[in-house]
Amino acid sequence: MDLQAFFLPASPGQRFALLQAPDALTKARAAVVQVHPFAEEMNKSRRMAALQARAMAAAGYAVLQIDLLGCGDSSGDFGEATWEAWLTDVELACAWLQQQTAAPLWLWGQRTGCLLANEAANRMQRPVNLLFWQPVVSGRQFLQQFLRLKIAAELIGGESKGAMERMRHQLQRGESIEVAGYRLSPALADGLEKSELLLPHRSGRVEWIEVSSRPDAQLSPAAAARLTQWQAAGQQVRGSAVSGPAFWQTSEISECPTLLAASLAALSEARAA
Amino acid sequence: MDIRNEVVAILDEVLSLKGRASGFSLDTPLLGAIPELDSMAVVALITNLEERFGLVVEDDEIDGSVFASLATLIDFVRGKLAA
Repeated sequence: MDLQAFFLPASPGQRFALLQAPDALTKARAAVVQVHPFAEEMNKSRRMAALQARAMAAAGYAVLQIDLLGCGDSSGDFGEATWEAWLTDVELACAWLQQQTAAPLWLWGQRTGCLLANEAANRMQRPVNLLFWQPVVSGRQFLQQFLRLKIAAELIGGESKGAMERMRHQLQRGESIEVAGYRLSPALADGLEKSELLLPHRSGRVEWIEVSSRPDAQLSPAAAARLTQWQAAGQQVRGSAVSGPAFWQTSEISECPTLLAASLAALSEARAA
Repeated sequence: MDIRNEVVAILDEVLSLKGRASGFSLDTPLLGAIPELDSMAVVALITNLEERFGLVVEDDEIDGSVFASLATLIDFVRGKLAA
């Protein structure tokens, strides 16, 4: 197996990238680009992403992980990131990996990474398959949830509405705000807020996997409704749920082996279909 | 959908109670009684309820009284689902 860590030239600066692939890269079963989640969720998910990338590479897939602008070891501060810049980074990663191998392309999104993967896929000139981990379906709702981290204390006191409005005004005036140690720019907030997980236009398959703490894991009612719509519109899509911890938000770093197995199965079954 | 079981499962997971939540009765006090339930955990709890049940919680609908006991939390979710 081949493991390469390198910097991909980008604008501005460079992006940290990690490629894990079978030795014969040209014979890879598929080319997978990971799109990581948002802020602290990215840190919490890092271990699972690494385990999954390793497992995929061992199974014959070429996997490229990149840190988006202002995240991880890439250039820039989080406060410089914009939604558009992140979309450009995803396209850059796809273009680079497709130069290395002609294998079918998968975008593997996690949480808000699914929103980015879906938008990037819609912009591409060729079909791309999508693997979603616990997708965020509404950027607007996710932003609201993220902003709430800053006003947690007011929330319990029933004073959060005023505090939320003050933050939104600050963003509207073009000022950044700091939430849970991350500086959020108006451009990032705006792009995130407008993003929604809409029916993909150009995608091959969509494999949508959710994690539930219940032993009899079932898709959330919210996901089931959206999947039914997409199926009715003719999209090839499959939803499944696995049991395990919500590792992207648990207070301690946790693992979800059932998700690793389900993701590998999703890739190989999609290939056979 | 069994709302009570779902809410108990979310509480257990978000607060890392390792199964303790399954022993909660309706009048088990939550906020102020369970040390794991701090303000950040309240935020995580709302997020999970929203995502799991497909709800949208407005910020003026929430205050400490929603998290007073298991019963008040379940009532809040029932009310949102019926709305």
